[in-house]
Amino acid sequence: MTALTPGRGQAMRLAIAGRFAPLAARWKAFSATRFGSIVARTLGTNGAWIFLLLVALMFVFNFLAPGKFWTEFNVRTMAENVSVLLVIAVGETFVMATGGIDLSVGYVLLFSGVTSAQAMNWGGHDPTNSGWDIVLLGLAVALGSGLGWGVLNGLVVAKAKVPALIATLGTLGMSWGLAEILSNGQDLRYLPSIIGDMGTGRVFDKIPFVVIVAILVAVVGGVTLNLTRFGRYTLAIGSNQEAARRAGINVDRHLIKVYAMSGMLAGFAGFMSLAIFTTTTISGHANDNLQAIAAVVIGGTSLVGGVATVVGTTIGVCIPMVLFSGFTILGYQSFWRDVAVGAVLILAVYADQLRRRRRERR
Amino acid sequence: MRMRNLVMLGLAVITVGACSSSATAAPAAGKAWNLTLIQGVAGDPFYVTMACGAQAEATKEGVKLNVTGGNKWDATVQKPVIDSVTAAKPDGVMVAPDDSKALLTPLKAMSDAGIKVTFVDTKLDDTSFAVSSISTDNLAGGTLAAKTLAQLINDKGTVLVVNVDPGISTTDARVKGFTDEMKNHPNVKVLDVQYTHDDPTAATTITTSILASNPDLAGVFATNVQNAEGVATGLKQASNTTVKTIAFDAGPKQIEDLNAGIVQGLIAQDPYGIGVAGVQQTVLALNHGTTTATIQTQLAAITKDNVNDPSVQKYLYKASCS
Amino acid sequence: MAEPLLQARGIVKHYGHVEALRGCDFDVYPNEIVALVGDNGAGKSTLIKILAGSEQADEGEISLEGQRIHVGSPFEAMRLGIETVYQDLALAPDLDGSANLYLGRELMQPGILGKLGFLDNRSMRAGARKAFGELGVDLQNAQSAVANLSGGQRQSVAVARSVAWASKVVFLDEPTAALGVIQTARVLETVKRIRDRGVAAVLISHNMRQVLEVADRIEVMRLGRRVARFDAKKATIEQLVSAMTGGIAEEGAA
Repeated sequence: MTALTPGRGQAMRLAIAGRFAPLAARWKAFSATRFGSIVARTLGTNGAWIFLLLVALMFVFNFLAPGKFWTEFNVRTMAENVSVLLVIAVGETFVMATGGIDLSVGYVLLFSGVTSAQAMNWGGHDPTNSGWDIVLLGLAVALGSGLGWGVLNGLVVAKAKVPALIATLGTLGMSWGLAEILSNGQDLRYLPSIIGDMGTGRVFDKIPFVVIVAILVAVVGGVTLNLTRFGRYTLAIGSNQEAARRAGINVDRHLIKVYAMSGMLAGFAGFMSLAIFTTTTISGHANDNLQAIAAVVIGGTSLVGGVATVVGTTIGVCIPMVLFSGFTILGYQSFWRDVAVGAVLILAVYADQLRRRRRERR
Repeated sequence: MRMRNLVMLGLAVITVGACSSSATAAPAAGKAWNLTLIQGVAGDPFYVTMACGAQAEATKEGVKLNVTGGNKWDATVQKPVIDSVTAAKPDGVMVAPDDSKALLTPLKAMSDAGIKVTFVDTKLDDTSFAVSSISTDNLAGGTLAAKTLAQLINDKGTVLVVNVDPGISTTDARVKGFTDEMKNHPNVKVLDVQYTHDDPTAATTITTSILASNPDLAGVFATNVQNAEGVATGLKQASNTTVKTIAFDAGPKQIEDLNAGIVQGLIAQDPYGIGVAGVQQTVLALNHGTTTATIQTQLAAITKDNVNDPSVQKYLYKASCS
Repeated sequence: MAEPLLQARGIVKHYGHVEALRGCDFDVYPNEIVALVGDNGAGKSTLIKILAGSEQADEGEISLEGQRIHVGSPFEAMRLGIETVYQDLALAPDLDGSANLYLGRELMQPGILGKLGFLDNRSMRAGARKAFGELGVDLQNAQSAVANLSGGQRQSVAVARSVAWASKVVFLDEPTAALGVIQTARVLETVKRIRDRGVAAVLISHNMRQVLEVADRIEVMRLGRRVARFDAKKATIEQLVSAMTGGIAEEGAA
């Protein structure tokens, strides 16, 4: 039998606690500083343990696949492969922070990619050698398309009082169907070569443009959520909509803005997808909405709103990709990846529940 | 120090699982190359059968084979799979790309990393860097479908073609082979091609409405599985038992349908053969042998009469290898 | 006596067939604490909701400083300098005390940053510390979400918020219901301080002892009407209970 006697178990726990005590003290001192308090609060929600999980996963995969997982190539492609998702997940973070949900993002992304590509192909011109004017037109159309769907979502949720789940399920179907109708179910394969160059381009030959763009979006999103009135209202509405209304916040207008922002980011992600795949990938992005929601939830954003961090969302986007890549490199059956990601998702929500219960017991 | 202990602990848990699943074939002769097959979509009988063929050939040649793929036919899902496989640095990869253009960048990067790339079933528009492209001769498949259907309807009557979407090279080739061959059958009239967007319910609606406007409909050619199932439902709704249906592909469900009389003919591709050829070509390239740039595999027409013939059996798609 | 600061005349409010208020009058004078008492269902909360803008009267007039006003929403009430501490604490539990105190009235960074929507959290925290300090509330961690505070601390945040923004009248609907002895004393102390700052306070309470101790004047409601008014210094608990339960037939009898 290997069972430890209570005495030994306790001694071990004490020993472990003893070893970590200086670390804990140092952390406490650190979190008392101005910068430290920001870090501590950022990690405070779900951040700390999911960040540790991410680091642990990376270590494990690096150990199991030495020289394969933790390589410049793999880190770069993993970052590239989450960039589109990160952009829509940032928008989703705001929506979920209000206590809502946006199921339409993946298909608004698709729709925006189609309209953008069609605008660039306007009049049947082969746009392969088109200049920046056509590219900017395409970007504007993508952003505008996304914004349009977002505003529609916002109006239906805030004014018509249709539950967000249903409202965005409706626009999911509408944007998908219209994307299929507009494209006749066929991918548009001719895009300005500048766009493809943006998709494959890298800074210092190392960091892909799309990754930098996605990180910029996340940074702006994080700053907006934490430091601006827009973010404060977003969290207040998610925390207690009635309180926000009584405090004089125009809740309906703010909700419309939040959904509009999510839609516009989805439109932008559609443009990024064009850059990466150089085609409209009409059969793709089918699960992007659920992946974005999963990432936001893994990142510690509460399903009922009020609590959200973009840092958490960023980590939440990365964890499934690390699992995906790690399992693929190790040669596991592809379905194991889904099993692992699903388990992490449930753990994340469970952790959120525990936190809430602890709070309510006070 | 502390960190390492922590990691080791985590590893102990995970490696237990890892060991049990990686059975490796003993190398027979030559170098034990590491190969990976990236399926168009994991779990589909067509690709499962392809993997069976590849595995059998790999065992024979004494090379290691890994099989992976996205769980959906979706280029945006397949890209991270391709990138991760590249990161794993196998010696050669057989891949069925989900899009002929979207996946150029990651597959080019794979080739640039020194990995031999062979296209199986589908391929990119740009095949310049590939060892070989192995696929079904879809044109021949369409011809075979026409001949088989003509026989089933005694060479006369109106026939309908139910296709997925315009612009897909494989299904378009099937339709072309079919309509071209039907020109040799003057008593057979081919209606305009109908498109279903790969939606079985659309195929059902199309079938019932065409039956209403063309009561003399004698046969239907469905260019893929989804369409065949939709057509079968449509015929059932119209209580029609005279129209003969011929469909592409021969998965377990289609064989069941054939035996049940829901379809009268199947045009089976040879995924097993594609898998075998894929491994052969990739290993040839790794051993600096001479490879064949394009290989077109043959098809078989399966009807109720020959479904149990041993020569036809190898064309049936399997849900698992054994 | 001076002109009433806030005056309600003949307020009627129906909920379906139920008549919650049937021609109710109410007066608040400057610099006073007036307690509004009555049995459950007498219409106290309904009256407060109407005066604070979250419900609309079916009939009747409201005037502030002699001017007739229309209070169409809580926001309009706030603009008029009327604040309310609700029974169900209208706080955002996930935000910290300072964020709640300034909710809807955030302080912005000076200059371009403020135009871009950046909050001046430092000033808001300082302001919050001051406001909470006045209430004698010690929030050990001002950055902790309100949900993590005790019931009393939460109530203090809600009270502090209304007090901080009211310029004319503060309505407090059972502000001490969830509080311990010390915190109750502090909240009542704050109510007195509000009055001393020139803001009238309207206190709804079931605690007669507390009412007599704190209020300057007491108005009693019964069955949707005002039935009695007392000078708190002269009134007794027996008189109040008698008025509440119908011992005194009509207003003005006392």
